[in-house]
Amino acid sequence: MTQTEPFSLLLLTAILVPLFAGILLLFGARFGTVTRKALGILGFGWPLIVGVLLFSQFNPLLAGGYNFELRAPTGLEQLGIYLHLGLNGISMPLFLLAGIVGFAAGWYALYSKAERPHLYLALLLFMLSGLMGTFASIDIFFFYFFHEFALIPTFILIGVWGSEGKRAAAMEMTIYLTLGALLSLIGLIALYAKSGVESFSLIELRDYLAAQPIAETVQSNIFALLLFGFGILVSLFPFHSWAPKGYATAPTGAAMLHAGVLKKFGLYGLLQIAAPLLPEGAAHWTPLIVWLALGNVIIIGLITIAQRDLKMMFGYSSVMHMGYAFLGIATLSVVGIGGTLLLMVAHGLSISLLLMLSTCIYHRSKTFDMKVMGGLAAKTPVLAAFFIAGIFASIGLPGFGNFWGEFTIFVSLVEHEETRWAIIPAAVGIIISAIYGLRAVANIFFGQPHKTFAARLQEGDVVDLKGFERFSALVLIGALLIIGVFPRLLSDNANRELLQISSYNSQSSLPITEVNNVAFAEIIEDQKEGFDE
Amino acid sequence: MTDSQTVLALLMTPLLSAVIIACFLRRRGTLASIVSVAAAAGICVFTVMAISGSGGEVIRVSANWLQFGDFKVSMGFFFDGVAMTMLTMVAFVGFLIHVFSLGYMAKDKARGRYFGGMSIFMFSMLGIILAENLIMIFVFWELVGFSSYMLIAHYFDTEKAKAASKKAFIVNRIGDLGFLVGIAYAYWHFGTTNLEVMRSAVGANPALIDWTIAALLMCGFIGKSAQFPLHVWLPDAMAGPTPVSALIHAATLVAAGVYFLIRITFLFPDSVLNYIAVLGTGVAVYAGFCAYAQNDIKKILAYSTLSQLGYASAAFGLGAPGIALFHLITHAFFKALLFLGAGTVIHGCHHEQNIFKMGGLLKRMPVTSVTFLIGMLALLGFSFFGTFGFAGFYSKDAILIEARFESKYLFALLIGGAFLTAGYMGRLYWTAFLGKPKSEAAANARENSIIMIVPLIILAFFSVVGGWIEFWPQELGGIIREDIAHQENNEDYEHLHHTVLILGSAAWIVGLLGSMVFYGIGAKEDRLKQTVRPLYALLKSRLLIDELYDYYVAKVQQRFAVLLSFLDVFLIKGVLVRGSAGVVGLVGTCSRLLHVGSIHAYVYWFLAGLILFWVLATGVSF
Repeated sequence: MTQTEPFSLLLLTAILVPLFAGILLLFGARFGTVTRKALGILGFGWPLIVGVLLFSQFNPLLAGGYNFELRAPTGLEQLGIYLHLGLNGISMPLFLLAGIVGFAAGWYALYSKAERPHLYLALLLFMLSGLMGTFASIDIFFFYFFHEFALIPTFILIGVWGSEGKRAAAMEMTIYLTLGALLSLIGLIALYAKSGVESFSLIELRDYLAAQPIAETVQSNIFALLLFGFGILVSLFPFHSWAPKGYATAPTGAAMLHAGVLKKFGLYGLLQIAAPLLPEGAAHWTPLIVWLALGNVIIIGLITIAQRDLKMMFGYSSVMHMGYAFLGIATLSVVGIGGTLLLMVAHGLSISLLLMLSTCIYHRSKTFDMKVMGGLAAKTPVLAAFFIAGIFASIGLPGFGNFWGEFTIFVSLVEHEETRWAIIPAAVGIIISAIYGLRAVANIFFGQPHKTFAARLQEGDVVDLKGFERFSALVLIGALLIIGVFPRLLSDNANRELLQISSYNSQSSLPITEVNNVAFAEIIEDQKEGFDE
Repeated sequence: MTDSQTVLALLMTPLLSAVIIACFLRRRGTLASIVSVAAAAGICVFTVMAISGSGGEVIRVSANWLQFGDFKVSMGFFFDGVAMTMLTMVAFVGFLIHVFSLGYMAKDKARGRYFGGMSIFMFSMLGIILAENLIMIFVFWELVGFSSYMLIAHYFDTEKAKAASKKAFIVNRIGDLGFLVGIAYAYWHFGTTNLEVMRSAVGANPALIDWTIAALLMCGFIGKSAQFPLHVWLPDAMAGPTPVSALIHAATLVAAGVYFLIRITFLFPDSVLNYIAVLGTGVAVYAGFCAYAQNDIKKILAYSTLSQLGYASAAFGLGAPGIALFHLITHAFFKALLFLGAGTVIHGCHHEQNIFKMGGLLKRMPVTSVTFLIGMLALLGFSFFGTFGFAGFYSKDAILIEARFESKYLFALLIGGAFLTAGYMGRLYWTAFLGKPKSEAAANARENSIIMIVPLIILAFFSVVGGWIEFWPQELGGIIREDIAHQENNEDYEHLHHTVLILGSAAWIVGLLGSMVFYGIGAKEDRLKQTVRPLYALLKSRLLIDELYDYYVAKVQQRFAVLLSFLDVFLIKGVLVRGSAGVVGLVGTCSRLLHVGSIHAYVYWFLAGLILFWVLATGVSF
C-alpha cells in the first residue's frame, strides 16, 4: 500500500482541484479573462491528467481489485461512513470518461459566450468534481453524495443558462431526478440496514453479503427500489420523459456532462453495486428489465425518427441507447455487463460530441429545425466531417467504441436461453438508429439549402469549425477511435474484475466439444507466425 | 519480411493513405490523388509478394482483440487460395480504376475527399477478403458500407446523391441485422466464429449445420450483393462518380456478398442452398427485364450487375461455389471495363447519361467504343463455336452446365436471362454508339486523355483472356479448377455441354440481332415505349418494389413514429407525469380551501369529522 500512496492522493486531487477552482471562480466576478481561463484550464484539465496517469499506473493484479485506495475519517465513523476512494477495473474506464468529457466540455465552455461566465464555469467545475468523486468512491454513501453534488448544479445551469422553455424543463428534471435519486437512496439505506454489516464500504458489504446473503424476497424488494431509482436517472422506459426536453434546453456544457457522464451513474450503480450485492433480487427482475429496455430501443427509437428538432433528436437517441445498456445488464453475465461498460464509455463520448456539434450547427444555422436546413457541408466541410463521424460512432460503425459495446451486448443476449429471443427486436435498433442518424446528416448537410436557409448561408458568420470547437471535438473523436480500435485497453481490466463477481458467472453455455478442442489445437499449432513475432 | 507481415502491410497501406489524406491533404487534390494511387499500386506489389511468398500455402495469423468471459474476439488473416484469387482481382481492378480516376476526377474540387474515400474502401474490402472469422468480416463489412456511403454522397449537393447514399446504407443495414444475429447465434453454437474451426467442426459432425444460422448469415449477402428484396439501393447508388460505380458497385463491393457465401459454404444445408439458387435465378431474370426500361447508361449497367450477381449466386446455390467465384472474377473485368467505358462516354458528352441523346460515338470515341464492345461481348458470353471465348463465356457456360445438371427449370430461366442480357446490351450499343449524334454534347464528344484510355485497354485485354483459367498462376483459382473438374467428371458432361453451348450461344446471338432489328441503329426514341406501352410501363415500374418501400417509409413508418411521439408527449409526459403533479397540486388546493380562517367553518368541519368518525367506528348499516 505504501507504494501507491502518492497516487491515492492524486486521486483525491482529481476531486479537489476542480472543486477549489470552482470556489475561486464563484467569487471571481472581477477576474480578468486570463485568470478565468487559467483557472478553468486547471480545473477541467487536471482530472483528465490524473485519469490518464492513473490509467497507465493501474495494476489489475492487485488483491481485491481496488487500486489507489485512500481511506479518510469523516466524523461519521459510527455509521460506518469513511471517505473511501479507489478505482477498480469497472470504475477506472468511467473515471477516465469523466475526465475526457469534462475536459472537452470545459474547453468548449471556456470559449462559449455565456453570461456571467465565472458562475457558469464554477457550476460546471462543481459538476465535474462530483462526477470524479462518484466513480472514485468505494463508500456507497459518498458514491451517492457526489452524485447529488453533481446533480444540483445541473438544475441551476439549466434554469439559468438554458434556452427557451428552460423553467419548465428545469422544474420537471429536478422533480423527476430527485424522485429517482430518493428511491435509490432508500434502496441503498435498506441495503445497508438489512445487511447488518454497519458499513457503507462496498468492499465490506460485498464480502459480508457473499457469506450471508439477504433473504430472497428482501433482496427482490431492495433491488426494485434501486432498479427504478437508478432507472429513472438513466431514463429507463417509461421514466424517460425528463430527458429529451432537458437536454434540448440545457446549456451545452451541462448537457455534455449530464448526458455523457452523470447519466451513467445509474447504470454504474446497477452493475457495480445492485446486481453483485443482490444477485437473487436482480435475477427476479431481469425479465421486466428486458421488456422495458426493448421499449427504450424500439418505441423511443421510432419516436427519435419522428423528431425534427436536432437537439430533441439527440435527447431521444440518448434515451434509446440506454436501452442497449439495460439489455446488457439484464443478461447478468460477464459478456453482457462488459458490453454495457464499453457502451457506457463510448456512448458518453459520442453523445457529448454530438450535443456539442449540434450547438455548433445552431450557431451557424440559427435554428434546430432540420427540415429547414440543407447544404451546410459546402460551407463547413470540417463540421460536416466531425458530425458524420459522431453520427457513425453513435450508430455503431466499427472503428468507434460504440460498436464493440453494442455488438458484445447483442452476443451476450444469445448466450442464455431466456434472453435469446430479445436479440431480434434489439437488433432492429441498428436500423432505426441508421435511419435517424443518416436522415439528420442528409437534411442538415447534404442537398440544396431550404429556401429560408439559402439566404442565411450567405451571411458572414457561417464559417467552418473554429479552433476551440475543433479541439474539443478532436479530443472526443480521438478517444472514441482509440477505444474502437483497441477495446482491450478497457476490456481486459474490466473482464478480470467481472470474473470475480459471482453473480455474473453462472454456468457457461459455451459448447467446448471434443471437435472444437481438437480443431483449435490444430490451428494454434499452425499459427507459429504471429503478430508478436 | 515474413509472409504474415507482408499481408499486414498489404492491409495497412490503404489505411495509411486514407489517414494521411484525411489529416493533411484535404485541400491538396493532386497530392492526395498521387498518395492514393501509390497506395493502390502498393497493394498490387504486396499482393504479388504475399502470393508468391506463400507458395500456395495458407497464411494464418491471429491476435486476441477483445475478451469478456467466454466471448472472445480475434482479428487475423486466413489467406488461402480463395482469398488469393479474390485479392488479385480486387488489387488489380482497383489499381486500374484508381488510375482512371486521375483523369476522370481531374477537375473535381473535392479530389482529396474522393481519393481518401477510395483508400478507405480498399482497406475495408481487403479486410473482408483476408478475415479469418465472421466477426472480423462483419467489422470490415460495415466499413465497406460506410465508404460506399461516403462515395455515393460525393456530389452531396445534389438531391439524388443525398437520397441514394442514405438509402444504400440503410438498406444494407437491414441485411446486416440478419448477419449480426447470425453471428451471435453462430458464436454460441460453435464456440467460435473462426472459419477454419467451424469448417472442421462441421466436417466432423454434419449435424452441427443449422439452417437458421445459414439463413441469417445469408441476409448479409442479400443486402451487400443487392439481391431481392434488398436490391433497391444498387441502381440508385449510380448517383456516385462513375469510377466509384465501376469499382464498388460493380466489381468488388457487391461481389463481397457472394465471396462471403463462398467463405462459409460449409454452413449451408441444402434447403438454404436451393433457396439461394432460386433467388439468384429470379434476380438474374428480373433485373434483365428492368434494364429494358432504363435510358440512363449507368442504370442499364447497374441492372446488368444485379443480373450477373444473380448468376453468381445461382451458381453458389447450385452447389458450385468455385464457379460462383469464377463468375465474380470475370465479371469484375468486363463490368469494370463497361463502367469505365460509360465513364469516358459521360465525360466526353459533358455529363449526358441518356443513351437516346448520344449516338455516333463509334466515330468520335473509337477506342472507348471498341473496348466497350469487347466488354459487352465478354458479358454476353461470346465464343467462336465454343472453342475460344471471351472471359464471360467460360464462367457463364460453367454456370449453365451446373444448372442443367441440377434443374431444367433454372437452366431455362438462366438461358432466358442470357437472352435478355444480349437484348438490353444490344439496345444500349446500337443506340448510343452507332448512328448519328442526337445531341450537341454527343456531336462534340472527343476521346479522353491517355490516362483514362490505358485502363480501358488493359481491362479489355483481360476481358478477352481472363477466363482462360489454364493460364492463371498455379496459386490462384484452385477451387474453380476443382468445381470445373467435378463437372467434367460427370458422365453426362459431353452430351449436355453440347446442348448448353448451342442454347447459350443462340441466346446471345438472337438477343443481339433481335435488339438490332427491333430498336434499329441509332434510334431516337425507345421503340418499346412507343409500341407496347403497357409492357414498357410494367418494366419501368420494376414491379413497384421501390414504390412499396417508399410508401412504407413515408406513410406507415413515419406516421407511426409521429403517432408514438405524440403519445409519448401526451400520455407519458402530459397525463402521467404532469397528471400526477396535477393531483398533488389539486390535493393542495382543496386542503387549502379548508383553511378559511373563520371559527364557524372550523366548528362545522369538526362536527362533520366527528360524524364521519362515529359512522366509521360503529359501522352503522343504513
